Amino acid sequence: MTTEVAFDTVRGLKARLDAREITPAELIDVFAERIARHNERSKAFITVTDEDARADAAGLSADDLAVSPFAGIPYASKDLFDVQGVLTSAGSRVFHDRIATEDAFAIAQMRSAKAVSLGKTNLHEFAYGATGENEVYGTCVNAYDPTRLAGGSSSGSAAAVAFGLVPAALGTDTGGSVRAPAALNGLVGMKPTIGRVPTTGVVPYCWTLDHVGLMTRDVADCADFLGIVAGYDPRDPGAQNIPVDNYGEALDQDISGLRIGIPANFYYERTDPEILAAMEEVKFFLSARGAALVPVTFPDLEHSRAVSLTVQMPEALSAHSAYLQDRGDLYGQDFRAGLALGQTLLAEHYVRAKRFVEMYRQKTNALFDDVDLILTPATPEIAQKVGTVKTTRNGVDEAVGNAITRFTTFFNMSGHPALTMPCAMHSEGLPIALQLVGRYFEEGTVLRAAHFIERDGAFAIPLPDVDG
Amino acid sequence: MKKLTKDTLTGICSQMASHDWSDAEINELVDPQLGIITGFQDLLDELEVLRKIDLGTTPPALTVQKR
Repeated sequence: MTTEVAFDTVRGLKARLDAREITPAELIDVFAERIARHNERSKAFITVTDEDARADAAGLSADDLAVSPFAGIPYASKDLFDVQGVLTSAGSRVFHDRIATEDAFAIAQMRSAKAVSLGKTNLHEFAYGATGENEVYGTCVNAYDPTRLAGGSSSGSAAAVAFGLVPAALGTDTGGSVRAPAALNGLVGMKPTIGRVPTTGVVPYCWTLDHVGLMTRDVADCADFLGIVAGYDPRDPGAQNIPVDNYGEALDQDISGLRIGIPANFYYERTDPEILAAMEEVKFFLSARGAALVPVTFPDLEHSRAVSLTVQMPEALSAHSAYLQDRGDLYGQDFRAGLALGQTLLAEHYVRAKRFVEMYRQKTNALFDDVDLILTPATPEIAQKVGTVKTTRNGVDEAVGNAITRFTTFFNMSGHPALTMPCAMHSEGLPIALQLVGRYFEEGTVLRAAHFIERDGAFAIPLPDVDG
Repeated sequence: MKKLTKDTLTGICSQMASHDWSDAEINELVDPQLGIITGFQDLLDELEVLRKIDLGTTPPALTVQKR
């Protein structure tokens, strides 16, 4: 029973609450006990707020439980989100004493929805890096194989959901930091359109590219989650004041007639052959169900990582300037090296990179004149061993962090909504995932297609055996 | 474009307004060992390729998107 509850979806848990099979407080007990049992190995949580969660859950009335699909449901947030009265460590010694004085926008939305915050999850220090390695709080491991990386930077959010410690978690995604770890851990990960979920109260890494993102066990939960945290906040200059769709409404529609773009370049070079084979299965499935597959050619993907890095590092340096001055010796060595890179780039490099970002936006938007969605693999490789520095594919070496986010980074620059979801198991026993990308503010179409793929069952993967 | 050296970066950081960076941090830029970021020389080489692409009148990206 406990394991069934731990790996149930939010909608499944909600049904149990509605049927009075379990109370919100008992739900907290189930997950808190699992965190106590699995956190040493998973390293998922930095701070567990189970006492506050029990009090919040015990105070929920019957009316409260009808407020939203997440009412009475525990969740976690990456330790960049401010939760009033709780440490926001950002995974760093630098913020060892930073107690939040108010909730981040997304946390306030969850509080209004009567969801229950169970704690703050681990991450690559200040969201720098896709491996999730953290010398202060430990490195999160993959639920399918603890010798492998969970991926990052939202490593703890992925591990928390994958190990059955919470049913849903918030993360941030600057180059794939939600979608890639979700993909490596067999979860659904989404970053909505830039500006759809305000970043107010989230420790910034790179203002141009930061997105709030979501991790869940299935697509329907992701749709419900997005419906709660999406909105507008004038305190975030990048937030868009656009009505929030009912994302659950169109989930059950089929995909007949949808035009799905298949990249003609970049995504099928230097990619694990088993991932390519899985993508062929997905393409065949979509085509057989009435979707039209349309070839599309992206602009300049080969250099997009360099463009992203050239925007990221000067912005990160600027965000950290004051802390570097006062607490510079408390930073980890890899992040400091990245900040040093930001220091020595030229202003013209930065401006030119931002011009490339604009070009990516215009040209990617133009692709959506001819298609409704774009389908790609989520990552070129499955989860790598902890401590791996480089991957090699077709004779080309690549820093492991670059490889993890090679297929996701571009859409932080273009700003389009993107979702990753599992679609197969690799022969090494690790998940393979696909990525669906949609037009600006058309998250509903992305979720509808993802739900269609998921509900067929042919692409379902087994749960990890974390309790064995 | 000549290959970047540690001396060049050390000079930039000591002769222009800059935070203090250790030898190891400067070294990581010219000889990356941590597996997280692209080596600085590789990045500069890529930026040099990008510099030669004509962006016309494309301005820097702003934050606003339209539905």
